Parts: sequence; structure tokens; C-alpha cells
Amino acid sequence: MVDENKLKILTEAAKYDVSCSSSGSRRKNEGGLGNAYSGGICHSFTPDGRCISLLKILMSNECLYECEYCPNRRSANTPRAKLTPDEICELTISFYKRNYIEGLFLSSAVCDSPNRTMELLVETVTKLRRDYNFHGYIHLKGIPHADEEIVMKAAKIVDRMSYNIELPSEKSLKLLAPQKTKQSLIEPMKSLKNAIEYERSEKSSRRILPAGQTTQMIIGASPESDGQILKLTQALYRNMNLKRVYYSSYIPVVKSEKLPSVGAGLLREHRLYQADWLIRFYGFDVEEICDESENLSPDYDPKCAWALRNMQLFPVEINKAPLAVLLRVPGIGAKSAYKICEARKYSELSFDDLSRMRVVLKRARHFITCKGKFYGSDNAIQIKRALLLEGINEKAEQLSMFSDRATAISALTGEI
Amino acid sequence: MKIFITDGSCDGFFTAVFDAYRLPDAAITSDNRIQLSFDCEVERVNADGAKSERVKRGLSKYDRSAVADILLVLRSGNGDKEQIAFEYVKTIFDKKTCVKKAFNIPSVEIFRETRDKVTLEAHRMKGFLRFTECADGMLYAPYSPDNDITDMLMPHFAARLKNQIFVIHDVKRKTAGIYNRQRWIIGRVGEAKIYISEQEKTFSELWKKYYDSVNIGERPHEKQMRGYMPARYWKFLPEKKDG
Repeated sequence: MVDENKLKILTEAAKYDVSCSSSGSRRKNEGGLGNAYSGGICHSFTPDGRCISLLKILMSNECLYECEYCPNRRSANTPRAKLTPDEICELTISFYKRNYIEGLFLSSAVCDSPNRTMELLVETVTKLRRDYNFHGYIHLKGIPHADEEIVMKAAKIVDRMSYNIELPSEKSLKLLAPQKTKQSLIEPMKSLKNAIEYERSEKSSRRILPAGQTTQMIIGASPESDGQILKLTQALYRNMNLKRVYYSSYIPVVKSEKLPSVGAGLLREHRLYQADWLIRFYGFDVEEICDESENLSPDYDPKCAWALRNMQLFPVEINKAPLAVLLRVPGIGAKSAYKICEARKYSELSFDDLSRMRVVLKRARHFITCKGKFYGSDNAIQIKRALLLEGINEKAEQLSMFSDRATAISALTGEI
Repeated sequence: MKIFITDGSCDGFFTAVFDAYRLPDAAITSDNRIQLSFDCEVERVNADGAKSERVKRGLSKYDRSAVADILLVLRSGNGDKEQIAFEYVKTIFDKKTCVKKAFNIPSVEIFRETRDKVTLEAHRMKGFLRFTECADGMLYAPYSPDNDITDMLMPHFAARLKNQIFVIHDVKRKTAGIYNRQRWIIGRVGEAKIYISEQEKTFSELWKKYYDSVNIGERPHEKQMRGYMPARYWKFLPEKKDG
């Protein structure tokens, strides 16, 4: 039986990993326990607003590495613990049976040589599949510098793998995570991508990583601009076929001269996620969203900011604009754009029709016409002010995430 | 105004539609406690398979998914569900075409919203349902959903917990889905007497420990938590039950 205190240590050590998703896999139950649901399922939500989908733990938090920002780095004075493969399997099975979780997200500090650590992880998930007859979702973290052979073995067993690129540039990686090299993170990503592509082309029924790969980086521990970060993100999506890039806004849990003493703030993280969505689902190129040396505007969401720079493209006629154009209207999301496209097949839509369909028009009204009629303001300054007011509400919402009012205000005035 | 009161069954609803459709001012409900005004005429509907079939066939001519969509809406916990479905049926017959995506028509938008609430809750419960292990190894999950969705959950859990015996108990509607490693059935269950296994407490305690440890205290956002996981579901969640 797993000791309660060990579980606490290894959960707290894993909780800053943002990824929680359990989507993308359709693994079947082969007579035992568990299967995967391609849309993913959230099983609970914590008071920080995040979902719990997977049992997210470290196998061990005893680490040989000295990553500056990490609470588990070798020199840190923190309680250490380690779980055996059987303890992890037993915990996963008993949580899964009770429908607490959708599967396991297993990671580890580099507790032994990278190869030995990776081998132990692979041993654990193999056991879970074979001896415990478990067919639910497994996300396994890749250990940098482990041999490709072991990594490939893991890829055949689990649903998703991730190598965290940790920081948005090689320079920062060298400074803050000296034992990890760009190559030790990018090369396995590339091998896995090639293996997935090869196997898809062979149309074999055994699937390597059905839910693909993801990665994560820390925002605000190093000086890279949002433009630089998003350029990297776009390259990771396009060249590595990643399913998700996660951003984790830096929280100063570790005191170090190499690190800023204040956190990055959640607004910045929020804006990056908004831009990330524009790249993945709204057909934007990063060059349209943000120059490489620039940061995203804190005042407007990235789509509003883009629209304000491109007012000559608006207004667009709601009854004629193709889906791709509707998606670029501030305030119109994927669901509203879909509803508009479907509903206008029946009859021409008026402004009132849109509100009956519950399309939010506060922002959109300045960028559309309905049956040729315009309901917004012609005055660019007025539009900006209207969007800015919206933005302030949104910021207030975001800021409620900060723990106290003082941090909230310092973020608002730009001190963070 | 004439009010048709059904027995709550699907056939009852479609029979009522058959009788009420041509009247200028008719309403359908299965709610026996409905408040009647003076000028109301009440008719109790006896489910009639033949009438029901004719309505369903008529609907399918225009929209092949209409009947399935209506069956979803009839699972709703909304007291006006029959009326919402009735208005939708009238819209289809008025327009003589599929109106499923004509979201600018109010009756269609309300119908869609009611249907989506049912499917959303069924999806949520795939995550929020909690099983307790009984002394004989059976897994038991009591819950109290807004909508009648137990049979929508059964195939999901039967595929997933293939090698287990389990019961999903809707304590509000006094019905239960029972799976015996081979097939599942829905039956009526009043009170259930459960003997909890010895290790159950250990694992629910471990789960609570996990829940508390995985939270990032520096970033509270309780409003978001409550938005995604409404408080009315908490009483069946071990991690939320005791505050």
C-alpha cells in the first residue's frame, strides 16, 4: 500500500507540470480494466481551477540534476521519496476502478543514470499493461539523455509522451538547466515523430503513441519575448507535429540569483494560450499575431489586437463571409462561427437573429454587417475604447487568480 | 387552452403530439402537479403505439435525427421538456423541412440548449461518477443527476470496467443500471444496502490526499472550479464531501 506521505511528496513534486489532457487515444479494453476516450475526460477540478484527469505523480523526486528553477534539484533541501513499480500500478488501478482518474501521467526526476531512470519508468508501465491488465490512458515523461532504444520501447506501450523543452531558448536552457541540452530534448522528439509517421504510413494496427507528443516551457524565468516564444511554438507544431505546447508561468518557488524574484503573472500565460489557439484552430500565422521582438498586448486579446491593426479588412458581411473570415472577427469563437454558417443556410441573418442565437456581439458588432447594415461605431478611437473596456473586465477576471490584492495590483500596473 | 397530460413515456409524448398538433392552443406536460387556470381543459393521454409511430414517421421524413434528438430532450430534468419538444415538432411540420441548425428560430435554439444540457451532463458524469468498492468486490456508484441519463452511461462504463461488477444508482429517480461482466440492464431500485470493503477508506483517503496535494495554492481560482464542477454534484465526490 502506498504511504500517504510519499504520495503527498511525489504529487507536490509533479504538480507544476501543466499537462492534464487525456484526449487523442482510442485504446480498446482487451478484457481487463480500462480504455481511452478520444475526447478526454476530466474527473475533478481543484481550487486553482485546473482539471484532474490523470494521476500525475513522479516515480522519484531524488534528482542528480541541478536545474535552477526546479524545487527537486539536487541541492534543494526538500523531502525525498520514491515509489516502486508495484506501488504505482496498485495506486493507478485502485483509483481507476473508483473512476477517480482517466489514467496515469508518470514522470520522474533523474534519480539514477538517465538510462536506468527511463528503464524503471518503462518497467512500471509495462507491468501496468501486462500484469495488471490495464488499458486506460498513460502519459509518460521522457528522460533526456536516455537511449533511443528504451524510449522507443516506451512509445509502444503508452498513449502519449512528452519531453519538456523547459525554456524558450538554448541560451536560457544552458544557464538554468545546464545538464539538459537542446539536443537531448529535441532529438528524442524527432525520433518519436518519425516513428509515429512511419507507422501511420505502414497502416499497422499497433499504434505508437496514439495521442502523440506534447511539451511544456516555463514563461518569465528568462528574458525571451512573446514573439520569440510563439515562433518556437509554431515551429514545434509544424515540424514536430506536437499536439499541444503548454506554458507554465514562472512562480518563484526557488530563490536564486539567476532567477527573477517575482512571478510572470497569469495574464501573460493567458495571452500566450490565446495566441496558441489562434495558431492551432483559427488559421493564424505567428507573424500576423506578434513580431519576434515584441510581447503580446496585455490590454487586448491577440485577435482584437490583430483586428485593430487591420481595420481595412472590416466590416465583413455575416451572411457572406466564409468560415475562415468569421473566425477572425473579434468576439466570434469557433462555436458561434459554426452556428452562423449553419443558420444562414436557412435564411439571411439579421442582427437580432444573431442575439437570438446567443452570439456575443459586444465586440463583434464593430466588425460585422448584417444584411448590409452596420451596428458598430465608425470611430476607431471609440472602438478601441470599447474593446479596452472589455479587456479590463477580462483582466479583472484573470487577476482574481492571484492570491492577494497586492500582487493583483502590481500586475495591473505592470510591475510583474 | 387544452392541456394534454402524459404518463411521462416517449410513446405518451408522441401520442399527445398526434392529438394536440392541430389544435390552435394546446400544451403537453407530464407534470401531474401542474397549476391549472379556469379556462383550461385537461386531457389525460393514453400512450398509443400506432399514433406515436405515425408522428415519428412524419418527423423522420424531414429530419432523420429528429426523433433521437427528441428522445434526448425527453430525458431532461426541465419541467417544460414536453412543451419544448412539442414546439420543436410544430416548427418542423410548419416549415416542412429539417430545422435542426436554424438557430435563429427561438423554438430551435431552446430545444438545442435543452438537448445539449442532457448530453453535457452525461459527458460530465463519465468523469464525476464515483464508485465505492463493496465487501464482495462489487462497485457501487450513487448519484443524483439533473437528467435521466443512467442508460447513456452504462455502455461507457461496461466497456471500461469490463472485468468488474458494478451498479450505477440514480437515487433521485430510484433507478439503477446493473452490469454483471456480460451485459447490463436498467431496473427500479429504492434503497440500496451497501457493505463497504475494508480497503475502501484507505483509498478514498489517499485520493483526498492526492486532491489536496496537486492543487497549486498560489493560484486560487475557485470560480473556475465551480464553473466546471458545479457544487450540486459535490455530495457524491469523496474529495469534496467534507468541505
